[in-house]
Amino acid sequence: MSFLQPLISGILTGGVYALAGIGMSLVFGVMNISNFAHGDLMMLGMYLAFFAFTLLHIDPYISLVLIIPISFFFGYMMERIFINKVIHHPHQNQILLTIGLGLIMSNTALLAFTSDPKILTTTYSSSAFNPFGDVSVSVPLLLSFLITCAITIILYFFLSKTSTGMALRATSQNREAAQLMGINVAKMSAIAFGIGTALAATAGALIAPTYYIHPLAGHTFLLKAFTICVLGGLGSVVGAGVGGIIIGVVEAMSSTYLSSDWKDVIVFVIFLAVLLLRPQGLFGKKGGQ
Amino acid sequence: MKQIAFLSVLAAGAVLLPLVIGENPYVIGILISMLMMAALSSAWNILGGYAGQYSFGHAAYFGAGAYTTMILVTLYNLNPLFCIAVGIVVASIIALITGSIVFRLRGHYFGLASIAVAEVVRLSVLNFNFTGGAQGILLTDVALWNLDLNSKIPFYYGMLLVLVVTLSITAYLRRSKTGYYLQAIREDQDAAASLGINIYFYKNKALLLSAALTSVLGSLYGLYIRFIDTSAVLDLRLSIEIILTAIIGGVGTLWGPVIGALLLVPLAEMLRSNLIGDMLIKAGLVSETSGVGLFLKGSLANAHVLVYGIITVLCILYLPKGILGLFRRKK
Repeated sequence: MSFLQPLISGILTGGVYALAGIGMSLVFGVMNISNFAHGDLMMLGMYLAFFAFTLLHIDPYISLVLIIPISFFFGYMMERIFINKVIHHPHQNQILLTIGLGLIMSNTALLAFTSDPKILTTTYSSSAFNPFGDVSVSVPLLLSFLITCAITIILYFFLSKTSTGMALRATSQNREAAQLMGINVAKMSAIAFGIGTALAATAGALIAPTYYIHPLAGHTFLLKAFTICVLGGLGSVVGAGVGGIIIGVVEAMSSTYLSSDWKDVIVFVIFLAVLLLRPQGLFGKKGGQ
Repeated sequence: MKQIAFLSVLAAGAVLLPLVIGENPYVIGILISMLMMAALSSAWNILGGYAGQYSFGHAAYFGAGAYTTMILVTLYNLNPLFCIAVGIVVASIIALITGSIVFRLRGHYFGLASIAVAEVVRLSVLNFNFTGGAQGILLTDVALWNLDLNSKIPFYYGMLLVLVVTLSITAYLRRSKTGYYLQAIREDQDAAASLGINIYFYKNKALLLSAALTSVLGSLYGLYIRFIDTSAVLDLRLSIEIILTAIIGGVGTLWGPVIGALLLVPLAEMLRSNLIGDMLIKAGLVSETSGVGLFLKGSLANAHVLVYGIITVLCILYLPKGILGLFRRKK
């Protein structure tokens, strides 16, 4: 097997991880909260895509048109009802609150959808093509990657060109100063959490055709999203994008050259190494820890 | 004086309790779970409550104790007490490695790093062969002196002993130099450092103490249940249960974790054994054959984690200082 194969599938999977990481990083940047419910929000996205496909017969990629607004609204309300109550609390209380919300989501899903994993099989789920020789590229992964790129570009322009986007970035840079400039930081927090949720759910929907859909699937993705954020520097959206690709490639490489059992261990060892050697992340500001 | 009298009555009550209720294995089992959770949460409280360092990965130390003891007893049939001691050493090594990584960090990073260490331990145990991997370890026979280890009574006293030791250490710490240093670190790390407190050293000291006690409980748990796997002793859920117990009772108080365990363990047991569903059906509120009745019978037993989630959210929003926080005078 050539070296290109794990590299390409790693980059494609990493793109979707990046989307989840960007969502978490945005929430962290604007609200200074580590969202431990992020993985479970991804899981909700997976189920939304699954039910859109099985009940409404909508293709998972097209169902994003529904999933993005629904999950944005869900996240927006979640911030308004729960998260903003603890925005000035110590970090540990914020973490515990989001852990609690995550447990409620995953276990409600467990009661409602049972623990049997669901599989979303589209006509192209297992199709692949060979662009260069023996390297095969999975069609659903490539589609997911392209959609990820499109969403990231839209998000980039939203953050840099629109007034709401600039207000979000201002809040992220300095909450107090932003408030003094007349920005409604409470509203910005809710919007950031809504976007973060929408990105998580989108990432969930995008991997739904290639993964098992399970109520507890969020757990694995939560820790991956954290690794990506820390790697890129907590709060750095660009860093999370690059971090996602790196983690995707590392995973694919370690499954190919070591064993797939150890790939998660390697990801966490990288995570700890980054914390130890460069806690501000690859793109973070110094002294940010 | 009053306090000492109260404590003596409490201790005597705890020691005599098994004699009063006799050999009812079900009740003893719940009592053991309560003592274990109280002790685990108290041990966590030394680091989380007094030093203010919320570890989200205490399952790693529990699992370290449980796995070390189970492996040594099953493979080499060593004296369990010796195995427990080795478990403490293993947990301490993991704690030292963790401490050297995580105590350089603050806030978000500390919590994340403690989870990552615990996950590395969990996944490694899952992937190694000598740990039994996903199958776990089954212990068929174990002997210590003339104790009847098939009975639950020795484990009741074992857990009680660890709880008393943990509470005594906590009580002593509160009024010792180390304890004051830890509380200073909790209140303001920079101020503590500027007063000449070696914050790195004292945080590690608290972590080591906490990890060692946690590993003893893990060892006892393994010997008591005689079966362990990663989902029972190394899961993130266990770490969260430990924290939640302390939060509900009151973080940074001596008795908070005990009160938390007295409330949470029976609640979890009631949900697990479906007592609430049965009660509703028996009371005639819900028909057994109706949809709701079937749902209660079939699914509610799995709902105890959901209830934990709801309690966590309510507790953080409305009772962040725990039950004991309600009775404390406002400063």
